[in-house]
Amino acid sequence: MLRFRDATIKTKLTWTSALVTSIALLLAGSAFVAYYVISFRSSLVRNLSVQAETIALNSEPALRFDDPRSAEGTLSALRADPNVVTAAIYTAAGDLFASYGADPGGFPAEAAAPGGAATARFQGRRLELDHPIVSEGEHLGTVRLTYGLDDLYSDVTRFVVIAIVVLACSIMVALLASARIQRSVSDPVARLAAAAQTVSREEDYSVRVEPSRNRDELATLIDTFNDMLARIQAREAEIEAGKQRFQVLNEELEQRVSQRTAELEAINKELEAFTYSVSHDLRAPLRRIDGFAKLLVDEYGGDLPDEAKHYLARVREGTRQMGLLVDDLLNLARLGRQEPRLQVAGLSSIVERVAGVLKRDTEGRDIDWQLQPLPFVECDPALLEVVFTNLLSNAVKYTRPRARAVIHVGAIEENGHPVIFVRDNGVGFSMKYADKLFGVFQRLHRAEDFEGTGVGLATVQRILHKHAGAIWAEAELDKGACFYFTLGGTAAGPINA
Amino acid sequence: MRVVCLAWALVYVPLHVWAQRSPAAEEVEAAYLYQFGRYVDWPADRQDNSDTFFICVLGTDPFGATLDETVAGRVIGGGQVAVRRIAGPDESQGCRILFVSPSEESRMPEVLKALEGTGVLTVGRGPTFTRQGGMIAFTFEGRKVRFVVNLAATDAEALTLSSQLLRVAGRVEK
Repeated sequence: MLRFRDATIKTKLTWTSALVTSIALLLAGSAFVAYYVISFRSSLVRNLSVQAETIALNSEPALRFDDPRSAEGTLSALRADPNVVTAAIYTAAGDLFASYGADPGGFPAEAAAPGGAATARFQGRRLELDHPIVSEGEHLGTVRLTYGLDDLYSDVTRFVVIAIVVLACSIMVALLASARIQRSVSDPVARLAAAAQTVSREEDYSVRVEPSRNRDELATLIDTFNDMLARIQAREAEIEAGKQRFQVLNEELEQRVSQRTAELEAINKELEAFTYSVSHDLRAPLRRIDGFAKLLVDEYGGDLPDEAKHYLARVREGTRQMGLLVDDLLNLARLGRQEPRLQVAGLSSIVERVAGVLKRDTEGRDIDWQLQPLPFVECDPALLEVVFTNLLSNAVKYTRPRARAVIHVGAIEENGHPVIFVRDNGVGFSMKYADKLFGVFQRLHRAEDFEGTGVGLATVQRILHKHAGAIWAEAELDKGACFYFTLGGTAAGPINA
Repeated sequence: MRVVCLAWALVYVPLHVWAQRSPAAEEVEAAYLYQFGRYVDWPADRQDNSDTFFICVLGTDPFGATLDETVAGRVIGGGQVAVRRIAGPDESQGCRILFVSPSEESRMPEVLKALEGTGVLTVGRGPTFTRQGGMIAFTFEGRKVRFVVNLAATDAEALTLSSQLLRVAGRVEK
């Protein structure tokens, strides 16, 4: 059995109208029956009282002259009313005097009202009415009439049957009528519900509810619902179009990026190949220049004037420097070709090894090496040695003007990743050239002041990039410089950018 | 002789029965005497110098104090009911109801004749009484006191007996 609150609106409306009709008819019918019964009873008592009064008057002499036959004759007039079941006259003492109807033995003497009051009692399907016989203040006896209520009950029964028939007809008519009326309510609601379900289940916003012919709240609801669907549909289409546009743009962009990357890689490779071959090919003529300059000094050194010897020394110095430059370039080019061989290595041991070499080279200089413990990281130790060699050589080189040089190597923690730094108290540089630091052949100092090829920091950056790391520097002119680098993906920015 | 025998039977047998009446019969008769007053209308032109409703007893009074007790304080037609005992019809002036005692048996026709035209309701004992011209006679029906009415006599005196009374009456004679 479906619960009422879960039933469809159509069912609810149907039942409601049936219920209302039934209640109205039941109430009206009950009220009518109650009124009918009450008024029937009161008019019955009134009529019966009149009859009893007549009997009382007519039986007065019979009682006075002790003539029950006469009284029975009076009572026998009640034959005219078949509803009078029994009638009896009792004397003032309460003895049965005369009777009509049933066996006189069925009239209990003690039942007669001894008082002078008229009473009417409804007992089951009978009305029992007592009426005193009083003459000139003298209580002579009592008339008792028993009236069958079968007529009343058959009337009530007939009425109930009629009421049930009317009720059934009314409910039928009400249901038929409500079926027509509810079509204007439940049908739009059902359409609305079906559309809402379709939208919710299939996300199909092109559904529309058929507009109602009526101009009621339901019609407004349907119109609003349709309007809402139209707006959602439009927005949905916009979003879809935007998505497609975005996708096209994205694809174009990716295509362009990969194209550029490929171009760049090709150029890079070409450049590396070119650099490598140039550097390699430059070595042979350099060696020849140096070799012949040396032969010249060795073979004919005694014949040459001092000035010529000095020139030859300058030639040889030039070739040596160029040789260094070619070596550096070859290293740089080689780095572009090979992938780092990663393993876990302690950075401290690498730094100590590099610093040991540099200490030997800088004997006589006052350098304060402050080497703090460094972490173990995943890296190519050979390449990291190149990094530290470059950074520490730079520190040694640019602190040369200082009477006491301080070189500080340490590690700080940033975003859970170690950041290694190399700090010196050298000449430093202006931060406005910071972006040129790591370019190939970019030099911030004159070669006369500080020797160098301008390839070192470019090499360092390339190595760190190969490790998915980064490098940056902070410096101030004449106040020293500090180089920071990271390894392993975290693109940490400058600490005080 | 046969007629005499019949007469004897008619007179003596009731008298014989009379002798065996229950004592309460007198009380019933006394009550009925008074009750008759309620169901009889006397002609309006009757000359009545008294407000008192007299019930008279002619001859030997069989009721004694019973009748006086019965009517004590009773009122009929606005008149106080009272009992008067008289010796002859000539004293019946003012009487409404006159009980002719069985003691007057011997001169009954004369007495009734004398009362004609006086407008008095005559009551007696035994069916002979009405046959002789009396108006109401007490009779017996088993042990029950009943009465018969002689309508010819009452009509002659212009007395109207209520139909209710006639219905109760044991026998009505025209």
